[in-house]
Amino acid sequence: MKNIVLGQYLPGQGFFYRMDPRTKIIGVIALMVAIFLLETIPQLLIALAIGVVCMLLGRLSIKRIAKGMRPLFILLIFTFFFQILFNKEGSILLQETLTISLASIGAIIALTILWRLLAKLRRFRFLLLLGYLAGVYFSLAYLAYGYTFASFVFTVYERGVEMSVFVVIRLLVIITLSTILTLTTKPTDLTQGLESLMRPLKVIGIRSDEFALIISISLRYIPTILDEANKIMAAQASRGADFLQGRLKDKIRQIISLLVPMFIIAFKRSEDLADAMETRNFIPGMKRTRISELAFGKTDILATLFIVSSLAASIVLRVL
Amino acid sequence: MSHIDIRDMSFTYTGKRMILKDINLQIEQGEWVAILGHNGSGKSTLAKTLVGLLEPAQGTVAIAGTIITPETTPAIRKQIGIVFQNPDNQFVGVTVRDDIAFGMENLCVSREEMLERIAFFAKKVGMEKYLDKEPASLSGGQKQRVAIAGILAMQTGIMIFDEATSMLDPYAREDLMKYIRQLHQEGLTIIMITHEIEEALLADRLVIMKEGKIFADGRKEELLKQPEVFAQSALVMPLALQMAMQLDDEATFGEVKAFLWESTFAK
Ligand SMILES: Nc1ncnc2c1ncn2[C@@H]1O[C@H](COP(=O)(O)OP(=O)(O)OP(=O)(O)O)[C@@H](O)[C@H]1O
Ligand SMILES: [Mg+2]
Repeated sequence: MKNIVLGQYLPGQGFFYRMDPRTKIIGVIALMVAIFLLETIPQLLIALAIGVVCMLLGRLSIKRIAKGMRPLFILLIFTFFFQILFNKEGSILLQETLTISLASIGAIIALTILWRLLAKLRRFRFLLLLGYLAGVYFSLAYLAYGYTFASFVFTVYERGVEMSVFVVIRLLVIITLSTILTLTTKPTDLTQGLESLMRPLKVIGIRSDEFALIISISLRYIPTILDEANKIMAAQASRGADFLQGRLKDKIRQIISLLVPMFIIAFKRSEDLADAMETRNFIPGMKRTRISELAFGKTDILATLFIVSSLAASIVLRVL
Repeated sequence: MSHIDIRDMSFTYTGKRMILKDINLQIEQGEWVAILGHNGSGKSTLAKTLVGLLEPAQGTVAIAGTIITPETTPAIRKQIGIVFQNPDNQFVGVTVRDDIAFGMENLCVSREEMLERIAFFAKKVGMEKYLDKEPASLSGGQKQRVAIAGILAMQTGIMIFDEATSMLDPYAREDLMKYIRQLHQEGLTIIMITHEIEEALLADRLVIMKEGKIFADGRKEELLKQPEVFAQSALVMPLALQMAMQLDDEATFGEVKAFLWESTFAK
């Protein structure tokens, strides 16, 4: 539990790391707007290419970023198929009668077992998933033997393919943008950047510095609390508790027996922490100086130029 | 008028059982006081009343002539620094640097000054290489060192250490004690709550607590002449002192050996 990484921050060098978090936050928002203004696949591909060049210049590992995005691949796949299935514009590209028959069901079951077995290898999981989906498609399309339960016509339209590619690339670029932000910015810097950007909200009574303090304290205590949960679970397991097996009722009981001590400890902890903060002269709402300082440097000026010109370019493309 | 002046003070958490009973304690500016006592004798509770975290049920606590009340606590706290028992529950910052800075930030110390003091005090507690580390990647003793540095950096006139060195290794402890001795010589008031009798003996004055009362209070030379005080409050005297007291000047080597054997294994 000691090596848990909060957010996805990965220590490293390069200009992304030197940038002021405020530039990065505003930049990501502005570039997302710019991406949404683009209308064609070539434009998006150019944007993606520029992004990749920036990542290489910033000495970011593309492999590492792809890894950071992995949880979102499912979203990409889902978006892709959603567009293909439901967009019915343009000329027909492919039309196939899909049949659910004894043979195709058998094949699908076999494929599923094979897929789950191979997935245990924990490699090429994405390719495996694609292969599995293709296998299911071909069994439905060509294995119409034996008793037939149902059959339907599956049509792919030109515009559907176009849109799905468009939407997927757009999503990919946007996810990449936010991944770069979280990968190169420490959670603390991120909260401090947000705090600084939200400072004008003081006019409407939102105190951004206290908000930032709450976030940073929560961030600081997450690993401690996880650590504690582990210790309590180990202590209970050594007295015979089993968190994995047993009936639902037993499991619920186990979980409660974990949560109760955790809450008690957390309350005690927050009381102690409040004492420690108070005796170190913390008074909510009072003026205080800050040790960490955000600095707008040369890199930020260049980045701002880049961001502004990208945004301008996509506005021009949109208007033309 | 004493620097720290506790008069007829009692305290209760629940309203029923008194945890502190009729405490009278006067500590002068520049004194180094060690507070000893068994678990649950009320040492931490007493320390918390000194910084206005707990309000006495009866009696008063005054610091430099000002009685602690909710109105006066903010000003009084600027004069007192306290390191608590559990290092995990007082780490406020996200990194070591942030945590050492926290108290100074609240005192509105300028950034340059903070960086200077952080460098100085991190070095004092041997944590200068860990300034960018998060608390989750530190050991208990390291967290204790950070907590101590954070309080030292506030440069208050009174410092209270509540078993603040319990997890330090002997070398770190010795370094810290040297520094505290230096602070003491510069005129700071030091209150050290501890179970380590060797550590307590660095102080000028010992206060022994028992069941919420002050059981004994005096200069260490005088208290050490009364072994029964230690025995009655479940404290073990250092072996060297026991030997010095129980063996006479003409003790033979055989007697010394027998004494050592007795006190080490025959309990
Ligand atoms: N928050 C609390 N609520 C109720 N009772 C408490 C609380 N904190 C401490 N006590 C009780 O007050 C008594 C004195 O506790 P205190 O923490 O002051 O002891 P201590 O001398 O510091 O002990 P130790 O050597 O273990 O640190 C104990 O009996 C304890 O059970
Ligand atoms: Mg205590």
